[in-house]
Amino acid sequence: MSIDNTNQQDNEALEVQAKQIAGLLDAHANRLSMRTLKQLENGRARAVKVHAAQISGTTVHSDGTLGQLSAWATHHRLAASSLVLVTVFSSFVALQTFNSNESSDAFLLGAELPPEAFVDKGFEPSLNVPNSHLQQKT
Amino acid sequence: MASSQELSDFLRDVERRAFKQTVYAVRDDHAALDIVQDAMLKLAEKYADKPVNEYPMLFQRILQNTMKDFWRRQKVRNLWTTLLSSFGAGKDGEEDHDPLDSIDVEDESSNPQVQLERSQTMKLIEKALERLPARQREAFVLRYWEDMDVAETAEMMGCSQGSVKTHCSRALHTMAALLEKQGLGSRAIANLSTDL
Repeated sequence: MSIDNTNQQDNEALEVQAKQIAGLLDAHANRLSMRTLKQLENGRARAVKVHAAQISGTTVHSDGTLGQLSAWATHHRLAASSLVLVTVFSSFVALQTFNSNESSDAFLLGAELPPEAFVDKGFEPSLNVPNSHLQQKT
Repeated sequence: MASSQELSDFLRDVERRAFKQTVYAVRDDHAALDIVQDAMLKLAEKYADKPVNEYPMLFQRILQNTMKDFWRRQKVRNLWTTLLSSFGAGKDGEEDHDPLDSIDVEDESSNPQVQLERSQTMKLIEKALERLPARQREAFVLRYWEDMDVAETAEMMGCSQGSVKTHCSRALHTMAALLEKQGLGSRAIANLSTDL
């Protein structure tokens, strides 16, 4: 029991010491070199500029210039969903095109004319001969 | 949503502390500056729509993650440096010295003796903090310097509250032992602390 109390007191004393050390570190952190302070100030100014741009819906490029890109383009999730939608739509269109090709092939195969007729060189010119001319021949 | 002025005030309030915390973690002033500036930009860019009261936790998380990214990059860079070290590198002393680097913001205490003692003590404390294992240092900084409670620290570190208590306890004991070894007992720290 007394050992527990001693441990607890030790821990409390250490916690007090930790707070004191934190206080000293805090005070010490306020004494930085002028260069460091200037660089921190620059970083802060850049961050505030980006923040202001975010609020107004503009975009800050890495070189610090402002661009009037639409706000949604900066959101990766929206960009990713748009990409998925575009992919699905293009697949759908491609599938439709493929299906129509397939049906035209089926039409050709199912036609009454034999496939040799389409290969025969004389077949197509014979189709262009007017009907009256054919009747005269017969 | 926080205004730009609120963000600016928040960053002004935390930037010095964040810089020192990062220096203790990465032990490189230039890298620490880059990390803090990166964290500031990420906060402004990704959390512009958040209220200002959420900024302390968000900023700390971003800062810790940016430090971890730095360590990962550093690991790869070290590998290349080791491989290419045979080609030779510039000497350390060749870097140009900039007087701005050594000009500190004026110390409130006008007594040079007090300034010297304080500076020496701070160096010992900083060394002790740097020598802590990463997780213990993180727990110490968040719990005592950032004044977060155990639950907040656990959330920030991504571990259980029990682990936070363990890390903190070990950090306190290690720090006390290291400082005691350097002749800096609890009384000396208390005296210095009251002088502030």
